[in-house]
Amino acid sequence: MNQINDRSRDIGEYVPAPDDDMIICRCEEITKGEIRRAVHDGMFTLTEIRRYLRTGMGLCQGQTCSKLVKGIVARELKVSPADLEPATSRAPMRPIEMRIFANERKEDEGHE
Amino acid sequence: MKRYDLIIVGAGPSGLSAAIEAAKRGMKVLVFDENEKPGGQLFKQIHKFFGSKEHKAKIRGFVIGQQLLEEADKAGVEVVLNATVIGLYQDKEIVVRLGETIEHIKGDAIIIATGASENMVTFPGWNLPGVIGAGAAQTMMNLHGVKPGQKILMLGSGNVGLVVSFQLIQCGCEVVALVDAAPRIGGYGVHAAKVARTGVPFYLSHTIVKAEGEECVTGVTIAEVDSHFQFIEGTEKHFDVDTICLAVGLSPMSQLLKMAGCQMEDNPKRGGQVPICDEYGRTSIPGIFVAGDVSGIEEASSAMIEGRMAGLAAAEYLGYMEETELDTKLQELDAALDGLRQGMFAPKNRGKEIRETEEGIAVSQNLLTHGYIADDEIERFPGFTHRKGIHPVIECTQNIPCNPCQDACPKGCISIGANITSLPIAVADADCINCGMCVASCSGQAIFLVDEDCGDGTATITLPYEFVPLPEAGTKGIALGRNGQKVCEAEVVAVKSLKAYDKTNLLTMRVPKEYASTARFFRAEA
Amino acid sequence: MATRIKTHPILGEIEKGRKVTFLYNGKELQGYEGEPIAAALKAEGVMVHRYTKKQHKPRGIFCAIGRCTDCVMVVDGKPNVRTCVTPLKEGMRIETQYGVSNQPFEEQ
Repeated sequence: MNQINDRSRDIGEYVPAPDDDMIICRCEEITKGEIRRAVHDGMFTLTEIRRYLRTGMGLCQGQTCSKLVKGIVARELKVSPADLEPATSRAPMRPIEMRIFANERKEDEGHE
Repeated sequence: MKRYDLIIVGAGPSGLSAAIEAAKRGMKVLVFDENEKPGGQLFKQIHKFFGSKEHKAKIRGFVIGQQLLEEADKAGVEVVLNATVIGLYQDKEIVVRLGETIEHIKGDAIIIATGASENMVTFPGWNLPGVIGAGAAQTMMNLHGVKPGQKILMLGSGNVGLVVSFQLIQCGCEVVALVDAAPRIGGYGVHAAKVARTGVPFYLSHTIVKAEGEECVTGVTIAEVDSHFQFIEGTEKHFDVDTICLAVGLSPMSQLLKMAGCQMEDNPKRGGQVPICDEYGRTSIPGIFVAGDVSGIEEASSAMIEGRMAGLAAAEYLGYMEETELDTKLQELDAALDGLRQGMFAPKNRGKEIRETEEGIAVSQNLLTHGYIADDEIERFPGFTHRKGIHPVIECTQNIPCNPCQDACPKGCISIGANITSLPIAVADADCINCGMCVASCSGQAIFLVDEDCGDGTATITLPYEFVPLPEAGTKGIALGRNGQKVCEAEVVAVKSLKAYDKTNLLTMRVPKEYASTARFFRAEA
Repeated sequence: MATRIKTHPILGEIEKGRKVTFLYNGKELQGYEGEPIAAALKAEGVMVHRYTKKQHKPRGIFCAIGRCTDCVMVVDGKPNVRTCVTPLKEGMRIETQYGVSNQPFEEQ
């Protein structure tokens, strides 16, 4: 098992810090403290953090906060940010309205 | 489903360069860009580029952009704007949003040239209106003609922070301070010097404590940090500002490649998450290539060469080129690219502390920590000499790949040699004719024409001046030293604006002769 | 407040489209056709584009290239419009966005 995902690993207690109320995910207004507490709640991967807190699921789809979140989670897990698997990348890479996502351009009859 | 030989995502310098090469070889090329205008960040660069002639040195970024667009047009490249690619799949299928519809398109080969996005740094108040990215400042000033603010603090001393600070001064903003948590300036010394001589103070080993304001930024507090980046008590400094500009690095926008299943790696030397690729841009998925900042943060000059390499590699992949022809072409481009990757700021030297130039001269520590060469340091560099009559003084003190000054002088007064990272030398016994071409051609604005003794107790200094309003001959004011502080009274003798200077005006000022080696900027005021 | 650049030392006279009038929270302002709404607002001294849903905090231009979505406002009745990449048109109705609506929070 990937050593980082081993949830039985002891990463220490959550220690409150003076900058815990700093907003990290600007779109969803998630604070640094919320992210740090989520790690201690057992969210050891960035994909889980995203699902748990909605960091990276707001209007900008993680364009602004993802590197920051990665750094905070890594520090809490006491690993290097480079060791963390980035959150899953999947379409749409940019925010898009549902009605457009469903509006596939019709092809002409016959192929080129 | 529509099918193209080559689909390129991103119409910046690398994407367009790739498109041109591929189209020239007969491929049907389609380029998508999510922006309203093509050119990526290129059109925001109003400064002259570095490098050598083959790297388009001496030419302003936005002019290079125009040239690229014309070339792409001539080669028959199709560029679709306002087209956001939202998905890339392993079988080289692209999903793109065009206005109110989405479309699935297949490419026999794909080049991802999506560039990079700005990094963030957090501090209390970082969400306030008035805190903007350096790219935002550039976009507003150089594309839309609007000043980002009046009083600005710049965080970050890499090339972006330095260049954007200068551009802010050029459009009439006041840069109250340039701050960086690192102990040394990350960008070129010449970029820092041209900002420092206008009077902007540099605060290295400092960072932002907090931004103040209720509805928007009204002030900012910075403080010194120790080697562990912890604040040192009692070192707080406050500035009244309405804008804080963040220039703290770039990260590749490589999510499309990850989505498609390319092998990725987290490489801090390249800026973060990058696809694993060979030196020609081939990723782990055959038929998917990368070029430009998305494969590693460098600059526009490298991006353009990488784009051409990827374009050629894609052409060979699809059979539009023989492998032998590809190898020859790639070798040429590789040599050009390698030429850029030399010197003090080369990717291979990133993170290293360099104390001596290639010539064995101790680098200016003051330049690295305060943004200007100290008066007692300048004497040891080969570009600085004392001579009778008007002669060039070249205050370029770091090894960077750049040599327009050598070619600019019709009399051979400046020499760099075959190795373009060598420091420029003021050639002894050369006959300066005061044409000013060296001053105008130096992209770093580091060359001055000095007459140390006019015979009447005064000296004249000709300096590059890219500001408005342009002073007129006879204007009285003060001369500032390299550190941006007043050294003496000065009077403008002449201001020359020739077409050959390409918007770099040459301002000649008269000062008492004892300041010939220290007066380096002019300010028209009491 | 002179925030438009008249003459730039390198770019010269900045070319603009024709002057148009638009509404900002009911007030008539002027801008240039085709420039981003955010540029026109900046030139008129507007700093706050919206207030956030949870904490009701002010936000404005941040990235200026359509990526961060902090500059979104209600434009012609439609919320979440990125003002830094949306071209200005004559008669556009631009309103401060509160959460995702143009109604101040007390009235929501």
